[in-house]
Order: sequence, then C-alpha cells, then structure tokens
Amino acid sequence: MYSIETKSLTKSFGNIIAVNDVSFSVEEGEIFGFLGPNGAGKSTTMMILTTLLKPTSGQALISGFDVMKNAKQVRENIGYVQQESTVDEYLTGRENLLLQAKLNHIPKKEINKRIDDVLELIELADKQDHAVVTYSGGMRKRLDIAGGLLHRPRVLFLDEPTVGLDIQTRRKIWEYIKKIHTEFEMTIFLSTHYMEEADNLCDRVGIIDGGKIQIIDSPENMKNAMGNEVISIVVDEGEHTSFLSEIEKIGFVKKISKDGSKLILFASNGTEVIPQIFQISSKLDIKIISISLTQPTLDDVFISYTGYEIRDDDSGFNRKREHAKMKRLRA
Amino acid sequence: MSTLMYDTYTIFWRELKRYKKSRSGVLIRLIQPAIWIIVIGNTFSGTQPLIQSVGFEGEYIEFMTPGVIILTAIFTSIFGGVNTLWDRRYGFMNKALTSPISRSSIALGKMSAISLIAAMQASLILGIALAIGVSFPNPIMIVPIMTIVILFSLGFSGISVMVAATAKSQETFWGVINFLGMPLFMLSPALFPLELLPEWLAVIAKLNPVTYTVLLVREMMTGVSEGGIPVLLSLGILVGFVLVMVALASYVFTREVNKPF
Repeated sequence: MYSIETKSLTKSFGNIIAVNDVSFSVEEGEIFGFLGPNGAGKSTTMMILTTLLKPTSGQALISGFDVMKNAKQVRENIGYVQQESTVDEYLTGRENLLLQAKLNHIPKKEINKRIDDVLELIELADKQDHAVVTYSGGMRKRLDIAGGLLHRPRVLFLDEPTVGLDIQTRRKIWEYIKKIHTEFEMTIFLSTHYMEEADNLCDRVGIIDGGKIQIIDSPENMKNAMGNEVISIVVDEGEHTSFLSEIEKIGFVKKISKDGSKLILFASNGTEVIPQIFQISSKLDIKIISISLTQPTLDDVFISYTGYEIRDDDSGFNRKREHAKMKRLRA
Repeated sequence: MSTLMYDTYTIFWRELKRYKKSRSGVLIRLIQPAIWIIVIGNTFSGTQPLIQSVGFEGEYIEFMTPGVIILTAIFTSIFGGVNTLWDRRYGFMNKALTSPISRSSIALGKMSAISLIAAMQASLILGIALAIGVSFPNPIMIVPIMTIVILFSLGFSGISVMVAATAKSQETFWGVINFLGMPLFMLSPALFPLELLPEWLAVIAKLNPVTYTVLLVREMMTGVSEGGIPVLLSLGILVGFVLVMVALASYVFTREVNKPF
C-alpha cells in the first residue's frame, strides 16, 4: 500500500483547471517534494490530499483511505503544516501545542509528555511559556511544525515550509525536518519553489507546472539525465532561429531551452561544444555577451521542463497566463 | 456524543483564551450600552406616565434596564462570530478542519464561548445600572436572569456564526449584521411597552425572539408582567428559538466551511 496515491486527480474552479490529471504515488517513509512556481497547483493538490477541497474528478488515497469517502480516517492519519503561520499569537507556545493536542484527540494522560518531547526536539522548551507574539519567524515555523507532528501522523504535509525565512533559518528548518523524519519515520510530502530545498530534502521530486506533473524522479537522476554540463549563453536581443538550429546540430548537445535572451544548453561534452558555438556565432554574426559552463542543478532540470526559471514572485505563472491570453486574441 | 462535547469544549477553551488575552476591548464595548442607560434612561424619565399606563410603577430607567441588558447581549453575541472570518483567513480554520474534530463542534464551541462572553458583558451592565441607583428587589433572581441571557446569546451567536461562515469578506459580514442587529432591538419592548406599539408593529414584535427575552428579564427584575404573555410561553419560545439556531448554525457552518474560502 502506498502512503499517498492519486489517480487522475483533477480540480477546476470554473474555467480554470488548477490541477490537471495528476497521478503519482509516494512510498511509506519517503520524503516527496512537489516543486513548481506559484500558481502551479501545488497548494490545491495539497488541499485535496488534506480533505480541505473536493477534487472535480479522480481519486486520492492517504494510507489507503479515500479523501472523499473516508475523510475522517484521513484526518486521523495526517499532519498539515500550512504555508502561513497558524499559531495563535496571544497564546503561549505550550498553549498552542495543547490546543493542537486536543484537536487531534491525543489521550489526556499522554498530552504533557508529548508536548515536552516535541518542545525538546524543536528546541523551544525554554520559550514555551512566552506568548507567540514574541517569537521570531523561524520559531513560529518550528512551533507550527511541532504542532503538525504532535499526534505522530503517518503522513506529514508541509506546504512551503521555509517560504519567507532567511537562509540560515531555512537551513535550520531543513535540519529539523530531517531530524523528525529519522525520529518518527513518517512519510513527508512537501511543496516548495526552492530548488535547493527539494534537492536537499527530498528522496523524489515531482515537477508540477500549469497543473500538470512534468516529471517525477530523484534529484540525482534528474540532474544526470540532463547531461554532464550546462552551458548558459547570453546573446544580443533579436531573432536567433538559425543560431539555435545550427547549435542543435552539434553532436554533444542534448537539449536547448530559451529564457529571454538566455540560451541554456545541456551537453555531454561542454568543453568541446563551446568553441563550436563561437564558430557558429561568428559565422552568423551574432554577438555573445557571456557564456558559462556549470554542473547541472535542479534549477536547470526545472527550466528544461517548464521553459522558464522559477522565481520568488509569480512571474512564471503570469507569463503562462499572458501567453494564453495572446493565443486567445490571435484566434 | 462525548467526542462532540470534548471537541466543542476544545474550541470553547481556545476562544475564551483568546478573549482573555485581548481584554482591552471589554471596556470599550461597555461604553455604548452604558451611554444608553445613562443618557436615554435619564432623557426619557419624563415618560413615566406612559409606563404607568401599562401598570409599571417605577422609574423609566428601571423599566429600560432589562432592555439595555438584552441590547448588550444582542450586540456582543451578534458581533462575536467575526473571528470566524479571521480564522479562515489566517489558517486556524484549516488546521481545525484537517483535524479529526467535527465541523459542528467548531460552530458550537464558538457559539458557547460567545454566549458566555455576552453574559459577562451583560452582567457588567447590570452592575453599572445598580451603581447608578436602579433597584433590584430580589437579588437571587440574578441566577435565572443570567441563564436567560446565556441562552438568548447562544441563539444570537448562531446568527453571527452563520453570517460569518457564509460571508466571504468583513464588509459583507458587517453589512448583514448591522442590518439585522438594530431592527431586532428596536422591534421589541426593550425601550417602550409592547402595548404602546401601533398594531402592525406589535405584530412584528411578537415574531421577534428579543421581545420574549426582554419580557422575561423585565418580569424577573421588576416583578411586572406586561402584554399578557405568560412566563412559560416566553420561556418556551426562547428555548425553541435557541434550539433552532443551534441546529441551523451547525448545519450552515458545516456546509459553508466545506466550500473553498
């Protein structure tokens, strides 16, 4: 039995299809990442899996329980840490956990012990009697995560766990996530738009864009499939169709994607490809502004599947929408 | 059943904790009803002959004090559901909805907390009334009076929770609540005897649960019954109103929170 399983999951709001025929499965004990820009359908999928939204069609199972037909059993088996902090600011850290324990029907005589343990784990024991309003962003997030695992769910959902946190705090949160994963051996399903986060934490990653899953694999495999090297070229603005088609003819080039005036080449033998690129550019009289050779990152994988770089703002989403709008206008 | 009660208590506990930590609002919310008692109570003191015509011997201010107690209960409880909107906006609602507790226990927990808070506010108003010289012949009557205020507020908090769960925005909520609150208060014998209302207004007033609550509290505070409505009938109507509101609010709340916000 899979920990999470979806079959052709679809959710539409009026004309907008937020989640489009999504099928995937997550093994027991796995850390599975959902990677995509804002508006890709990550949160909608997570809301369906946590019983907050009903799918338009398709099926989703958590630990074998159907999110529609057995919502109560699903809720007993999951922990859900939302993107924004949901702790009550005027209650203390401990009171917040007490509330969470009661909401999840933890037996009365176990409550205090569980809270002590979890406060120890997330290193908030010394601040437990302070009102949450005095906590920093990172501390609130830790408290949120603590609340999600207090009842030892079999599946823990983390919706963008480090969004809006600084880099040090983000790394700290990753450590906590790894720590709770080793301690409780639960399945973790997390959504993120940080490549580094997916790369760092996840056993497998699903790239989702425009409501559709583009690929599911381990970060390692994804990067290897890209070829050994990535060549980024920035060229002058203008039409580069012939330039692109010439480059495609170079034997070692596996894949090309274009992001504005930036061309990204995935190649198996980059050091030999670069001189050939210069030959082509001088032949076609195209000015190369810069060129670089790097090892592939998950970022590159992402670009190769979605055609644009992931960003903190939602420009990725807007570009798609603008594109669709223009298509409609042309038709 | 016992799970429902445990879950209702969990939400009730949380709401009261939050209320306790935001005490600054308590005094502000008392200002308006205090003004009603002090200003209207004294301004209209000349209307004593009108009240006497329906068999009420005391001062006007004593006649209207039960009305202002109910005014406090109406507004505290009908405004009380607004944090449902905040809970939906800031994720607490989703946290509760993804836990194994039932949807109705969330509504019931909120309603019971609101009605207790409303009763506390109402008892403070009663305190102010006593302080400015309103007499209270039988102090033991405070127990049934407060029971009635709690019951009544439970029913009204149901209206508030329903409107809050249905409204998608603060603006809608306040629009609907203000549209409901004042007319329900005015179309009752809170400020003037039922007998003095024109025929058609009296008919409307008799459909209003506020009317029966005011009559009950007034009878308990002053010993004067008016309008020829027996206590048991008023009590029956009040209890019926509360039961209907509790059932309706749980139903509407459950239906609405299952929709995306």
